[in-house]
Amino acid sequence: MRMRLKLKTVFVLYFTVSLLGLIYALMQLGQRCDCRGHDMSKDQQISQLRGELQKLQEHIKTELNKKTDVPKIYVITPTYARLVQKAELTRLSHTFLHVPQLHWIVVEDAPQPTLLVTDFLAASGLTYTHLHKLTPKDRKLQEGDPSWLKPRGAEQRNEGLRWLREMGAAAEGKEAAALEEAVVYFADDDNTYSLQLFEEMRYTYRVSVWPVGLVGGMKFERPVVEDGKVVRFHTGWRPNRPFPIDMAGFAVSLRLILTSPQARFDGDAQMGFLESSFLQHLVTMDELEPKADLCTKVLVWHTRTEKPKMKREDALQKQGLGSDPDVEV
Amino acid sequence: MPKRRDILAIVLIVLPWTLLITVWHQSAIAPLLAIRKVCHHLVKEILIIPERLTIHRQRLADDGTETRHETGPATDSKEYCSQDKDIVEVVRTEYVYTRPPPWSDVLPTIHVITPTYSRPVQKAELTRLANTFLHVPNLHWILVEDSQRRTPLVTRLLRETGLNYTHLNVETPRNYKLRGDTRDPRIPRGTMQRNLALRWLRETFNSNNSQTGIVYFADDDNTYSLELFEEMRSTRKVSVWPVAFVGGLRYESPKVNAAGKVYGWKTVFDPHRPFAIDMAGFAINLRLILFKPQAYFKLRGVKGGYQESSLLRELVTLSDLEPKAANCTKILVWHTRTEKPVLVNEGKKGFTDPNVEI
Repeated sequence: MRMRLKLKTVFVLYFTVSLLGLIYALMQLGQRCDCRGHDMSKDQQISQLRGELQKLQEHIKTELNKKTDVPKIYVITPTYARLVQKAELTRLSHTFLHVPQLHWIVVEDAPQPTLLVTDFLAASGLTYTHLHKLTPKDRKLQEGDPSWLKPRGAEQRNEGLRWLREMGAAAEGKEAAALEEAVVYFADDDNTYSLQLFEEMRYTYRVSVWPVGLVGGMKFERPVVEDGKVVRFHTGWRPNRPFPIDMAGFAVSLRLILTSPQARFDGDAQMGFLESSFLQHLVTMDELEPKADLCTKVLVWHTRTEKPKMKREDALQKQGLGSDPDVEV
Repeated sequence: MPKRRDILAIVLIVLPWTLLITVWHQSAIAPLLAIRKVCHHLVKEILIIPERLTIHRQRLADDGTETRHETGPATDSKEYCSQDKDIVEVVRTEYVYTRPPPWSDVLPTIHVITPTYSRPVQKAELTRLANTFLHVPNLHWILVEDSQRRTPLVTRLLRETGLNYTHLNVETPRNYKLRGDTRDPRIPRGTMQRNLALRWLRETFNSNNSQTGIVYFADDDNTYSLELFEEMRSTRKVSVWPVAFVGGLRYESPKVNAAGKVYGWKTVFDPHRPFAIDMAGFAINLRLILFKPQAYFKLRGVKGGYQESSLLRELVTLSDLEPKAANCTKILVWHTRTEKPVLVNEGKKGFTDPNVEI
């Protein structure tokens, strides 16, 4: 009997001790003390590297922009939601990432900014401004309309100009001085741009021009230059327009835009006259500055991307078996 | 009664200790797992920075604790995060903005095989493709022209980009029966060019030497995200991912089960093909290409859509495929096609100066 009692007390003691130990261990867990020294140092290192990485990324971005004292290029790109939108913007951003001092102004044809473009721009690594302006219904191309029927992107480009003018009015001192040197270019999201093009346009006093490939039903369209001045335009279609030049074929100095507040794109302009509606407020033909080796080199191409065939997708959608709409394409 | 008591006693002895051990075990493992995950993300982030940075290795102080993972070949990105191995540190260097990133000793080379042929949009396509490739570290571009001789346009373009490249050419035989410049329709476009590139790789790289490399077939009109190249860099045999705008769908993708293995194909067009995948949807480890020197794309007698299968079935089985892009749920490559430009105003004799290169 005595033996038994002893065992019982021993047992109870043991049980209480281990229970206390367990409670203590649980408390330890809650506090996360420094006793896990080795793991902590790895963890610290990781977060240190993380911080370093972020700092460097920021530094690189600012370094790239501050690297040389060159004029800034503001690129205005109107865009609208369709299947190939993300792909187009992706490959465009790859080109822009190579150009120093580039500020991308993306204007969506939408009532509000879309998640796709917002997320895309945030991850792109570029300096950007995200705007949006909805084209009024009567000016919008309907399903089945040929692409040349109504001018596209006019409202969005005007919105970009409005933002620039707002920024110009608010800027002062060094910022304002920098804006005097800057250049504005209208880049559609499906064209192809060579890196050389941006260096050609960077030093523009008023409006500079150059050839554009694969446009106007020809291999290329270009201004014809004699004695360093543009005398006429080589184009296969309606050469009698005031400025028979494609949107991708000219750049305007920001100074000129800020001092000509009435210059904007006319959304009601006839087909092919959109560029003229803007440029005729700004320059005359003999004031144009020819670039790209006196307009003999093609540095930009008016490529267009096919609309992807969706007949199988459409068939599946009818059955309710379409591809996962949560997957962003 | 004593029996029950004994049992109760045993249970009461064992219980607190098992609880203690499991809780302690869990608390020890969790931070380690978190570190591995974070490390992975960190490495991925470092590798896909668009600006040019060199990657240096930094020896971590090894405190000689639990190293459960064996060290494999340096191709695997997981390698960078092993407990006792190096963690990559990012160092910024000066660079000229148009140049590709400095060559790293650590990253596997991606050999991108692009067949191309002369047409008005060729220079534009190659230009924007080059602008994308200039962001990818350790990329080797193998451009194969479908022509009798290497054209000056492509030669000049390649030289000016500054990329690491190899310029090859082979002409697909013309169909002399039909009038005009039509190629033999029985040979799918680009096949001979891709095969030539594979042959070049086999002749250049000896299977004995430990070259780490990945082979990817990139057509000149598709669109590639930068993330795609980092996903394919860790390919062991053949990796696969979804491709947008193919097969008449928003995207086609491999079917991946809960265990992370490919078991089928989410396509409408002939999903029973051995590999119902587009050319842009897979990448092959160079070692596998060298190990199976007889594997080529079949030239003739290939049904539409079976080209990729003709090569892949000689290299891997379905179970060997490695799904990428978050288990095949993200789109990182788009099968875009460029419209043929309308050149009506050129007329019969050509309106524009033929000496100007476009």
